[in-house]
Amino acid sequence: MISTPEPRNSGIASFRIKLLVAMMLVVSFVAVAILLFAQRNMADSVRRDFQREFQNELAALHSVQAIRHAALAERCRELARKPRIHAALEDGALDLLYPSARDELLDVMDTDDGAFREPGAYTLRAHYYRFLDGKGRAIPPLDAKEVGELRPEEEAQLDLGKLPDTPQTGYILRDAGRDTETIDEVIAMPIISSDSGETIAAIVLGFKPPTLGGGSPDAWIEGGVWLGGHLDLPSLTESARADLAAQLSRAIPAPGVDQGGFEFRAGGAPYLASFERLNPASLFPAAYEVSIYPLAASAARERRLIWEFVAAGAVLLAGAFLASHFLSRRLSEPVEKLAVDSEENREHWHRAEAALETTSQELQRSARFSADASHQLKTPVTVLRAGLEGLLAGEQLGAEARDEVSALVHQTFRLASVIEDLLLLSRMDAGRLQIQFTRLDLSPLLEALLDDLGALPDIFDLEVDADIPPHLWITGEKRYAALILQNLLENARKYNHTGGRVRVSAAAQGDWAVVVIGNTGPAIPQSSQGHIFERFHRGAVGENVPGHGIGLNLARELARLHGGDIRLSRSDEAWTEFELRFRAEGAGATLPL
Amino acid sequence: MTPLCFCRVSALAAALALQGAPALAEAVVEGRVALPKPLHTPVMNKRYGIVAYGGVLSPYPPVAVVYLEGPFALPPSPATAQLAQKDLNFSPAILAIQVNTRVEFPNLDDTYHNIFSYSPAKRFDLGRYRSDERPIPSELFDVSGMVTVRCDIHEHMRAIILVLNTPYFVMSDLAGVYRLGGLPAGRFLLKAWVDSKTTLERPVELRDASTLHADFP
Repeated sequence: MISTPEPRNSGIASFRIKLLVAMMLVVSFVAVAILLFAQRNMADSVRRDFQREFQNELAALHSVQAIRHAALAERCRELARKPRIHAALEDGALDLLYPSARDELLDVMDTDDGAFREPGAYTLRAHYYRFLDGKGRAIPPLDAKEVGELRPEEEAQLDLGKLPDTPQTGYILRDAGRDTETIDEVIAMPIISSDSGETIAAIVLGFKPPTLGGGSPDAWIEGGVWLGGHLDLPSLTESARADLAAQLSRAIPAPGVDQGGFEFRAGGAPYLASFERLNPASLFPAAYEVSIYPLAASAARERRLIWEFVAAGAVLLAGAFLASHFLSRRLSEPVEKLAVDSEENREHWHRAEAALETTSQELQRSARFSADASHQLKTPVTVLRAGLEGLLAGEQLGAEARDEVSALVHQTFRLASVIEDLLLLSRMDAGRLQIQFTRLDLSPLLEALLDDLGALPDIFDLEVDADIPPHLWITGEKRYAALILQNLLENARKYNHTGGRVRVSAAAQGDWAVVVIGNTGPAIPQSSQGHIFERFHRGAVGENVPGHGIGLNLARELARLHGGDIRLSRSDEAWTEFELRFRAEGAGATLPL
Repeated sequence: MTPLCFCRVSALAAALALQGAPALAEAVVEGRVALPKPLHTPVMNKRYGIVAYGGVLSPYPPVAVVYLEGPFALPPSPATAQLAQKDLNFSPAILAIQVNTRVEFPNLDDTYHNIFSYSPAKRFDLGRYRSDERPIPSELFDVSGMVTVRCDIHEHMRAIILVLNTPYFVMSDLAGVYRLGGLPAGRFLLKAWVDSKTTLERPVELRDASTLHADFP
């Protein structure tokens, strides 16, 4: 069957598409893997950068606060050393304590006089102060207005239960009115008597805590203070503040937790919150600084990064697609060529197969014809011979006619012989001749044939020499081996001259049994030597020799079927010689079928 | 020792002038007060000063003020004494005066001082002033007792004024040896002030023109 070009093209196109798809899949997988890896790395890097930025910013704000706190503590320490305050406490003049402190604290207290002050200066000013007595309780002032008013519950938060040995930072909850609360920072500084070296009192000053970011519009960290479930973080809405306070209450369950962080959402926006103990190891209740950082910008940055990666991925994939397309075309070219070649080969093969089929059919037809013809011919020849022999047996023929009929009978034998040979040849041609290989001794066979040769009417008065070993074993079928030898011996007898000679020698040569049959007689011309084994070829020398030109052909075909061969080994004026080879018995070579 | 002698002489002179007592009938008491061992306390000025330790104010190096307590009349007009500020310290660091003595506080430094006291015996505040302040800021001490004088500007400055109800008092030397003369005859209580928490006392009987030896303790 010969393929049409369309399926072939569609097959190549299909191959090309499959190749393209496979390459695209591989490239896409690799590209996606690389992009995912890079994106993850970038996201991690962005997150690390953000955390570092956040920590740096926080650390900077903390250092500012630490400086402020140190300044406040120093102011408090200075106050605690004031001679008047010491004099009031040490010389038993408590009635002069607050009046003396008022003078000393003139530049510390925020007097709300309406004068403009820098924001930093504002946070360094105290809003109220109290002295703590020997039991750590607030000493009530004579005039609360002069020392900053506090509600009783606010003043109660200043009580420490005992006097501190070191400065203490604390935070107290204050009512800012209208149901809002603020958290103030207080610093308690022990007053150590210069008389006794013991802590005799403490001064507590209350400040507004600085807000992280300071309320500046470009500040990105907002801060506040968390104290006992209350959160003072004015930048958040009330509900968000309540949510955050609740989360902080869960995150700060134990006194040992000094810092931490978590993410939360307020008003639909994500935030990062971190908390850190403001007053570790303080006698005042634990308070925490709460810093919140809006993650919206960071999330936007991450989203933008993802989109950038998606865009880069799309560009990469498009490039990969183009490259794959180009590459698949290049790669499919040899395959296409191979397909075309293969198609042509297949066509050739189909043609050759068809031709072989035709030849085979013709051969079979020819062989069948030969066989049929031989069979068809054998019967009339037999009938003819029987008729002729019948005539010979009769009395009505004259002597002349009898000779004629007798010659005719002889011709029928020749005809039958030819038909027999043709039948054998046709069987060989059709491949239906099977040699039944057996162990065969060639020597008695040769001797018997030579005996038969001697029995024939000898017109040339030939001398027959034979050099035959007692046994010469071959593998073959006796009937056909005899036919081969008979044909050769027949030729040697026929193509001879009067007083001529026939010589037969046989010997084993390695794997072969070689029979050489030579005879005197006219030489075979050089030009004919190549054709003597062809069918129906008869040399010019044999024009007067009876024969039909298939004997040598038949002999060689049969010899080859036995795995041997026949060749003309010599032909000159003096001597013509044929060499026949059979496989010796036990030879290793495989036999032809 | 100069300030000590000056102080003693001036106080004695004032007392004698106030008393107007006969010169021949004077009794003398002398002796030795066992002073506490000087504490090795860091002070800014190693000269004579007041140190505080364990809630006790004491002179450094230790001295004692020995005085005779009895029903003596007050001087009719205030006597005058001086407690100067020199080299950022009080000079002397301890001053014994009779009640109704006006003490002047001259500033001998180039800087401001602000002398005040919250002591129950005398609360006063002279305010800030410099050395050229005239008249020299002063305060009348009309109630007996110990007055701790401080400077509001220089927290380390501390002086003690012992306001006594007697014209007979003297400061011992650094070994605790004292001699108090010109005394009337009679039975009295002799006291030795050692520090803010320690005043030793013993009854004495003085006779005219005789010298009594009395040691503390």
